[in-house]
Amino acid sequence: MSALTEICGSELASSGKTTVMISLLAQATQKHFCALVDANDSFDPSSALAAGVNFCRLLWVRCGKNQSKLKPMEQAFKTTDMLLQSGGFGLLVVDLSSLPERLVRKVPLTTWFRFSRVVEKQRAALVFLSQKPHATSCAGLVLHLKTNPAVWSGNLLTQFRLEAEIVRSREKKPTQSAKPGFSVPSQWV
Amino acid sequence: MFACLFAPDFSVQAALRLEPEDRREVLKQSPIAILEGPASLPRVMAGNEPARLAGIEMDMTRLQVETCGRVWLRKRSQANEDAAQMALLDCATSFSPRVESTAPGTVILDLAGTEKLFGRAQALAQKIAMRAAEFGFDLNVAIAGNPDTAFYAARGFTGITIVPAGEEAERLASLPVDVLSTSPEMRNTLEILDSWGIRNFRALALLPPVPVVERLGQEGLRLQKIARGETKRPLAPAEASADFIESFEFEEPVETLESLTFILNRLLQQVCVRLASRSLATNELRLKLELEARQLHSGENKEFYQRAWKLPLPIQDPKVLFRLVYLDLEGNTQPAPIRKILVQAMAVKPRYVQSGLFNPASPEAEQLEITLARIRGVVGNADAYGTPCVGSPRVLDTHKPDSFAVQPFSGLDEESDSSLPPTPVISLRIFRPAPETNVELAGEKPCSITLHKKLLRVLAASGPWRSSGNWWDATASWTRDEWDVALKTTEGVGFYRIYLDRIKNQWFVEGGFD
Repeated sequence: MSALTEICGSELASSGKTTVMISLLAQATQKHFCALVDANDSFDPSSALAAGVNFCRLLWVRCGKNQSKLKPMEQAFKTTDMLLQSGGFGLLVVDLSSLPERLVRKVPLTTWFRFSRVVEKQRAALVFLSQKPHATSCAGLVLHLKTNPAVWSGNLLTQFRLEAEIVRSREKKPTQSAKPGFSVPSQWV
Repeated sequence: MFACLFAPDFSVQAALRLEPEDRREVLKQSPIAILEGPASLPRVMAGNEPARLAGIEMDMTRLQVETCGRVWLRKRSQANEDAAQMALLDCATSFSPRVESTAPGTVILDLAGTEKLFGRAQALAQKIAMRAAEFGFDLNVAIAGNPDTAFYAARGFTGITIVPAGEEAERLASLPVDVLSTSPEMRNTLEILDSWGIRNFRALALLPPVPVVERLGQEGLRLQKIARGETKRPLAPAEASADFIESFEFEEPVETLESLTFILNRLLQQVCVRLASRSLATNELRLKLELEARQLHSGENKEFYQRAWKLPLPIQDPKVLFRLVYLDLEGNTQPAPIRKILVQAMAVKPRYVQSGLFNPASPEAEQLEITLARIRGVVGNADAYGTPCVGSPRVLDTHKPDSFAVQPFSGLDEESDSSLPPTPVISLRIFRPAPETNVELAGEKPCSITLHKKLLRVLAASGPWRSSGNWWDATASWTRDEWDVALKTTEGVGFYRIYLDRIKNQWFVEGGFD
């Protein structure tokens, strides 16, 4: 809470960041109102429903769907700014992972710094999903996710084995990178 | 007891009611004339006291009025006067449920049983006058034991008049008989009275009744009873209107948003004051702008701009409504100048909610509506298929993949029956729209796929999972073979869902498991 978190993972290869994001929303919507700023409109409501997200407490903002003067990333950042100013959301997730890496890299550090300072004063968690970490020291926690070989049961994909590496943590600096692993079953198991 | 609310120079007050407050105060001191009639030769049908002092009389032409100095001229608007009358009724309804719409600009209300609630007659009259000022009216208020005495006292005396029971004749005595002229048919009777030398109510009241009836008939007797304060009649209660409509027609079409917002703000304030006076709120607001058709470019046939806002909870605050409308107008430039603006609010009962100690903190409802309107201004209202861009997702009751709707986000803690206990499951990252792809098959299984312009080898494949639906509808039918595939990419193994659209006979990538 009250910090900026980055969850990173590859876009081309499966990394499990969307699974973690949806699990996070499922947990958070049990107790809080949450907002998802979807920069490239890639959220799957069916997966979220199966994961147990309470849709009544979720605000979904789909960016990049109209012929606006603003680009999807600019729309996402503006929307996040407004939602942070509005307050009342326990969790704000900004999904930038479908955007080209070269665009997100151009976001000035001052923007990340401003978000970090605003969220510090609120009882809210601000989570960014991206391919690589960008907020540097502005982030309270940076997680890097990747998948180990998935489990196939005969002809059926049944399980993901995720590995999360804590790249940066403001609360407790890891002396060496911790890499906890966990398994996630598929919806049809 | 009955109270009469009388708005002197009602047409002028109806025209001024929607002006911004500071400007209205200035205009009240200036000569104002209301014109009516054909556009080629409009004539004065009403004016205020400064206009009368400036020498402006009824039926003067525009040219004649302009010779009297600087006069503020307005065209008569029946819609404005109707809305003003409704506002006057709403003002009266906040004091008593039994209200009569006696005449344009005149309302009588039955005060029986309201003493304990609003105090004595003088205090009540002051409260009525103050409330009317919020509605933009400058009223004469009279309280008397019968409706007609209250009516003529309000017409004849300015400010607040209290007529104690039994003193009706005495208090009305000084009124001129011209006050009785409420319709053109009475003009003959009043001329006869004038020819007899009857100038005021006292003289009329002292006439012997039988000769009056012999000469003027029952109408004469009625007028005499009014002058004596002896009439008794029941009120004809007006039905409370469910329409909360306010409109304003510009003298000159306006082009800039700034010019429009002054009036828009005033209209919304009036609507909200009227709603509040009836203990109501609105959950749907409609806006209609009439555009100057002559200035539309060729090919544009949109003479109106219409917009409706459905609010998740009833709102009474004009600032919130104004902000919502303003954000919409800011994002939509009109193709022609605006001639007329109309605001309509759908009335509902306000929502009273007891906050729970253990309820999650939620965004403040009114602030949330403004925030959502601002977000819609950034990301747009809806996508190309008409699905809203901002709201709460809902999965549709269909087997068709990626079928969802977006509902308005209310910020209210509603019980959801559909949500499951939180369980981590592999989630899909959808590509919208699904990109076409080329798939090479080995036997019936995919062996390589083109993704992001790269040919990727399939390491494992699960499928085909066949599904179809809407076969009875040629335009909406779908049938597909799904495959879940593991692809070898430069960054590791990627799990994707691909499908063959059996109608188009084309492969697509639906998304990636991530």
